[in-house]
Amino acid sequence: MSLTEVSQTQQSRDLRLPFGLVLLALALCAPLLASTYVVHALIIALIFMLPAHGLNLLVGYTGLLSLAQAAFFGIGAYASGLLAVTYGTPFYINVIASGLVAGALALPLGIPALRLRSTSFVMCTLGFVIIGQAIAKNWISLTRGDMGLSGIPKPHFALGPLSFTVSGTMAFYYLALAIGILATLAVWMIVRSPAGRNMIAIRENETLAESVGIPTWRYKLIVFMLSAAFAGVGGSLYAHYLTVVSPLTFQMYYSTTMLIIVLGGGAGTISGVVFGSLLFVGLTEALRVTPELRMIAYGLCLLVLVFWFKQGFAPVINRLWNFIGGAK
Amino acid sequence: MTGLRILEISNLTKSYGAVKAVNDVSIHIDRGEIAGLIGPNGSGKSTFFDCSTGLGRPDSGTVKLDGQDITGWSLNRIAREGRMLRSFQKTVVFKSLDIEENLIIAGQMFTFPSLFSTFGLGRLSRDRVSALRDRARELIKMAGLWDVRHQRAGNLSGGQQKLIQFASMLMPEPKLILLDEPMAGINPKIIERVVDTILYANKSLGVSFLIIEHNIDVVTSICQRVIVLDQGQKLVEGLPQDIINDQRVREAYLGG
Amino acid sequence: MFSTILEQIINGVVTGSVYAIVAVGMTMIFGVLRAINFAHGEYYMLGTFGSWFAIDYLGLSYEASIVVGVLSTIVVAYVVGRLVMQRMVGAPAESGVLATLGIALVLQNTVILVFGGGYKFFSGGYIEPVSILGFSLAQQRIIILIVCLLVFVGLELMVTYSRMGKSMRAVSQNVECCEVVGIDVPQVVLRTFILGAALAALSGVLTAPVNVSVYGGMGELITFKTLPIIIMGGLGNVRGTFFAAMILGIAESLVATYVGLQFRDTVGFATLILMLMWRPHGLFSTQARF
Repeated sequence: MSLTEVSQTQQSRDLRLPFGLVLLALALCAPLLASTYVVHALIIALIFMLPAHGLNLLVGYTGLLSLAQAAFFGIGAYASGLLAVTYGTPFYINVIASGLVAGALALPLGIPALRLRSTSFVMCTLGFVIIGQAIAKNWISLTRGDMGLSGIPKPHFALGPLSFTVSGTMAFYYLALAIGILATLAVWMIVRSPAGRNMIAIRENETLAESVGIPTWRYKLIVFMLSAAFAGVGGSLYAHYLTVVSPLTFQMYYSTTMLIIVLGGGAGTISGVVFGSLLFVGLTEALRVTPELRMIAYGLCLLVLVFWFKQGFAPVINRLWNFIGGAK
Repeated sequence: MTGLRILEISNLTKSYGAVKAVNDVSIHIDRGEIAGLIGPNGSGKSTFFDCSTGLGRPDSGTVKLDGQDITGWSLNRIAREGRMLRSFQKTVVFKSLDIEENLIIAGQMFTFPSLFSTFGLGRLSRDRVSALRDRARELIKMAGLWDVRHQRAGNLSGGQQKLIQFASMLMPEPKLILLDEPMAGINPKIIERVVDTILYANKSLGVSFLIIEHNIDVVTSICQRVIVLDQGQKLVEGLPQDIINDQRVREAYLGG
Repeated sequence: MFSTILEQIINGVVTGSVYAIVAVGMTMIFGVLRAINFAHGEYYMLGTFGSWFAIDYLGLSYEASIVVGVLSTIVVAYVVGRLVMQRMVGAPAESGVLATLGIALVLQNTVILVFGGGYKFFSGGYIEPVSILGFSLAQQRIIILIVCLLVFVGLELMVTYSRMGKSMRAVSQNVECCEVVGIDVPQVVLRTFILGAALAALSGVLTAPVNVSVYGGMGELITFKTLPIIIMGGLGNVRGTFFAAMILGIAESLVATYVGLQFRDTVGFATLILMLMWRPHGLFSTQARF
């Protein structure tokens, strides 16, 4: 989308940069300003933001509704858990490996799945989550079944003489924040690239995109794999934060949460996903809302989003941002 | 010498169940030619078009583009590798994007060598997009859409969208453009512009054309050769004037 | 050995009957709305809860509780139908998925919130076994079989001869034509939806004595089994759904006995995934054939 050009006269009222810096400062100081529980909520929000970014690439930019994010989230979590518990590999290896494993598994899963029409495709992606949970429960020799893997060590970084263990909520918050910022940057780069344009073209009109030479099926597969990788990284972070992994990581509830973040925040926008994570996950976690109430809220949100606010919060965020930028 | 023929379709057949929509049709287009394809409704023109351009697979027959066998190629491959583009009867644009973005997308896959290269954000990639943007702006000016270039394509009128569609097809340097009823549903003023654009592309850019069209005036004024289909088979082909006066053609249109 | 397999198959047919009654409702709803009802299993759950509530809190008999269960679900379905399902006419497929997902979340969690998440004991029903052809079968299971047959025969008759049935077929084939001809599409959608939900509730009430435990999340499991059934049976295809349901019931029974109980609930989706990857166009025709 072309950016609205801000004229010279308006530049003096353009407060976007200072506003952005304030937000960044707040993000950096959060652990000092807020209680430990709020910081915990922010961590969870940041963790879920990662698969949500991936889902946004699929739903918002390529136009492909998928429920499989929870499956790759779980795969990433288990990959990290297994590596950490079996081989004692350090965090940064686990997190990258999880992304790679999830992304790689998305290839054999995506190839047949993407041949399907949209309804069957959605069912198939849901199936991945269900099968994933069944495998986690029953492949006991690998996953220890319902007992899951526990004792996943805290992330530990060592560089020569310096070593640092991320223990404690505050330290983990900065780790999650750093990864979150990197992920957001990555998505931003993908979206701004010519490939990002092609993805939007596929979403808008697949046949027309084909007619201008865009290999739509291959793009869908690549986006499916990228989005799985994002989910895998999120899963890895989740595993290291909770220090346990169990078949419960493969829940449709997680897919629903990620869907709400994307659709509620505004599919097809990056700020929407960031905002959505903070609102739908961070807020509900911080307020210690009971799971049932949270799900009812999510359910009502979905209904509202489908019928009245198809663009989620994105228009509101947009208008607010333009207003800060000095537009009337 | 096949060097003269840009498109050679031989014995194309396509059936839907028991109905032979296209029955053993063979046509050719010479380099630099503007050819017309006419026929009454149900004669198989659209099916023929779709099967030749990758939107459907022919049951039998071959399609050769500039000497290369492209039978069974997908729509995007024919466009990207074959440089044969096609329009759609129903005017379609990328609705939520502005005109400039629409045109840039239309040219991207022809500038970037591979799918992976489209993920790049480096100097090379930015230069390519920059060049595309310049070309897009040129075409927008030529089409007279400069004033609305930042509007969402979905908000523009049908005629304007048609012009966007045309400009899109001139973004790459195509060898051959297939137009599916380009004059359908637009007012005479825009028809003029469309005709001018086709002639410009043909004379100055060397693009060959195959046009399905019902508007006889347009067909006679710009097509150098006309092919007539009736009930899935090629009836006759020749100069526009001869075709109009051909008894069999008249019967096909009036009798059917 | 043979009699054991036969016994498992008979059990499978009973299970298949349960699924069939639920699935036929879901597939009919798809037929008229072109939308997958992700919340369908919740109506099964609501019927069961309504019946359980009638027995435990209102002290009613099992027969009366059936009526309460089904009626209360019909009331809920009416509200949901008017507020949500009718709005989905002509909406894209994704809207249907998301909206019904939302409904499922609301229904499931409201029940858990109100009645608590624990397992409840269903005390009604006829679980005494009778001996038929050398097999011992709980009376309730026989009831389920009979009701299933009645339901499908009834549906066949209704769809072929009644006005509602004809309207349903018309809507499932061509919505635009219906509006031209004067069929009230939203009304047909509402009625089909309520019928489907009521059938799901009926299935729940009839199965509760056999399953014994009642809990808020039971609907989700049913939804996850019904989805593969209607896709494999052909979306909108009533007869295909019947056969797919029977096949799944029998397959589950055999897998539970000979492979392992823990795999039983995965059979449905696993088969669906395999089928989608191998034969993306379904086992039976996807024409909305009522």
